[in-house]
Amino acid sequence: MSADERMAGPWAVAAYVVTALAMLFILAPILVTIALSISDSPFVTFPPKGFTLGWYAKVLTDEYFLTSLVTSIEIAACATLAALILGVPAAYAVVRHPFAGSGVLQEVVLSPLIFPVLITGLVLVKFFAGWGMQNAFPNMILAHTLVTLPYVVRTVAASLILSDRSLDEAARTLGYGPLQTFFRVTIPQIAPGLAAGALFAFMVSLDNFPISMWLIDARTVPVPIMLFQSMSRLFDPSIAAMSGVMILIGTLAVLCLEKLVGLRRAMTM
Amino acid sequence: MSLASTPAAALAPPAMGRVAAASWRTRFEGQTGLLLLSPAVLFVTVLLIVPTLEMLSASIQTQDVAGSIGRPFTARHFVRLVEVPLYRDVLVATLRIAATTALLAAVIGFPIAAVIARGHPTAARCVNIIIVMPLVVSIVVRAYGWQLILANGPNGVVNVVGSWLGFGRVSVRMLYTEAAVVVGSLHVFLAMMVLPLASSLARIPRSLEEAARTLGASSLRIFWKVTLPLCLPGLSVGLTLVFTLTASSFVLPVILGGNKSQMLGQLLEQQATAVFDWPFSAAIAIVMVVMIFAVNALSLWFIRRQLNAGAIEAQS
Repeated sequence: MSADERMAGPWAVAAYVVTALAMLFILAPILVTIALSISDSPFVTFPPKGFTLGWYAKVLTDEYFLTSLVTSIEIAACATLAALILGVPAAYAVVRHPFAGSGVLQEVVLSPLIFPVLITGLVLVKFFAGWGMQNAFPNMILAHTLVTLPYVVRTVAASLILSDRSLDEAARTLGYGPLQTFFRVTIPQIAPGLAAGALFAFMVSLDNFPISMWLIDARTVPVPIMLFQSMSRLFDPSIAAMSGVMILIGTLAVLCLEKLVGLRRAMTM
Repeated sequence: MSLASTPAAALAPPAMGRVAAASWRTRFEGQTGLLLLSPAVLFVTVLLIVPTLEMLSASIQTQDVAGSIGRPFTARHFVRLVEVPLYRDVLVATLRIAATTALLAAVIGFPIAAVIARGHPTAARCVNIIIVMPLVVSIVVRAYGWQLILANGPNGVVNVVGSWLGFGRVSVRMLYTEAAVVVGSLHVFLAMMVLPLASSLARIPRSLEEAARTLGASSLRIFWKVTLPLCLPGLSVGLTLVFTLTASSFVLPVILGGNKSQMLGQLLEQQATAVFDWPFSAAIAIVMVVMIFAVNALSLWFIRRQLNAGAIEAQS
């Protein structure tokens, strides 16, 4: 964009001012949480007093939090893997082998995205009860696979559309089989999109509250639910420190996304 | 001469075999798409679509004292949601909160989208990162942050800042009100407005606005007559997303709204886990789903109409 195509004048100044205030609004709860997580005071009080990493030390040795974090990561990893196994072939089919009705079937696979997540959870808890599936951990993995699948399909399909199909055809002509072509030619082309899709799926699972809420038992409590339960129980800054740990994980994920595909592209996929 | 001794006959079986293999292979290739797509379709159908249909059927049946669902068929669960004042208030509050959030998001989102699409590249990049980053921070964490900021006591950040500015010890009591839910929802879903708006804005050729300016239109007139109409697709995507996500949210009203500001999601959770009224919970869920799909369909219809109108104008 050349400089004279940029906006200018009083309206541009107004837009910048509103944007600056909006940025403050967006960052405020995150910054306040981080500020209080390093506050050297036994209660959550603003403004924060002094500086300590004690709350982080407390949280990172707290068995309850660590168990919860490990549970969350296990569920997210398993769900992401399952979503990749189901989603990558589906995206490949939709982009490279479309057939009559494949568009409708694609909508079916993407439907968990527009379906309210709270209701997906309600429907699933009824489903699991109906089939006598009472083990929270595998139920949670199935449920999270369902909601992360659309993210994988969408991101991978978007990269497949951008990939160069003639390279695959050249590989086939030169004697590669279909599987060999897929793994040696197609996958390397869509690798960034694939990684972004997996990261999306992982973060969506890690952050999920409205589905996990229906499916928890005493031993399987993912971090968002555990944080929610602690909010009415703990009044010291340790919740802020737990939140700080989750903010750090989220920030790392965004940096990875930016490196992999660029943020603008990742968000519009 | 026996048939078997002819070269043609001797060749026949393997040749036929090859033809069969080839046709099997083409048939398989024709089905590749279906074969690759079906596991995912099956998974979603079994876990989501079929159970949803069961829920739909439960919503029009009756639950007896033992908790089993059966006949007679009835519409009274839906009627109850509209007729009982307590439930009707929840429905109305949900629509009000979602609509307020969506409109505020549009008003705040426009200047932000303008900076992303047309601002200084460095500013645009920073704004973009700040808009997107909170998306990966858990909603519970963000709601907790707002709880700290809006806390009703003298320790709430807003009240502390207010007392510095001389507004007294406790100037704002916002937590556990609808306003707090709107603020939290706006924070969480603003990106859903800004991103589609920014991509709509980026697609508008600047020459159109330049032409309007050369012909003497004021900035405000250009915005109303040129920029805004061309942004309508992005705007309606943004409004749809923010409205539906807010209307179906659960975490934010629970943490920020307390008991006072009830939304449909909270009512649903109570009816399902505390009252065990499955047909009524199913009816609430169906109302939420229908509402969301209706808003989506409406917005899709609107965007299509806009694009068609644009195409016709371009032709003439």
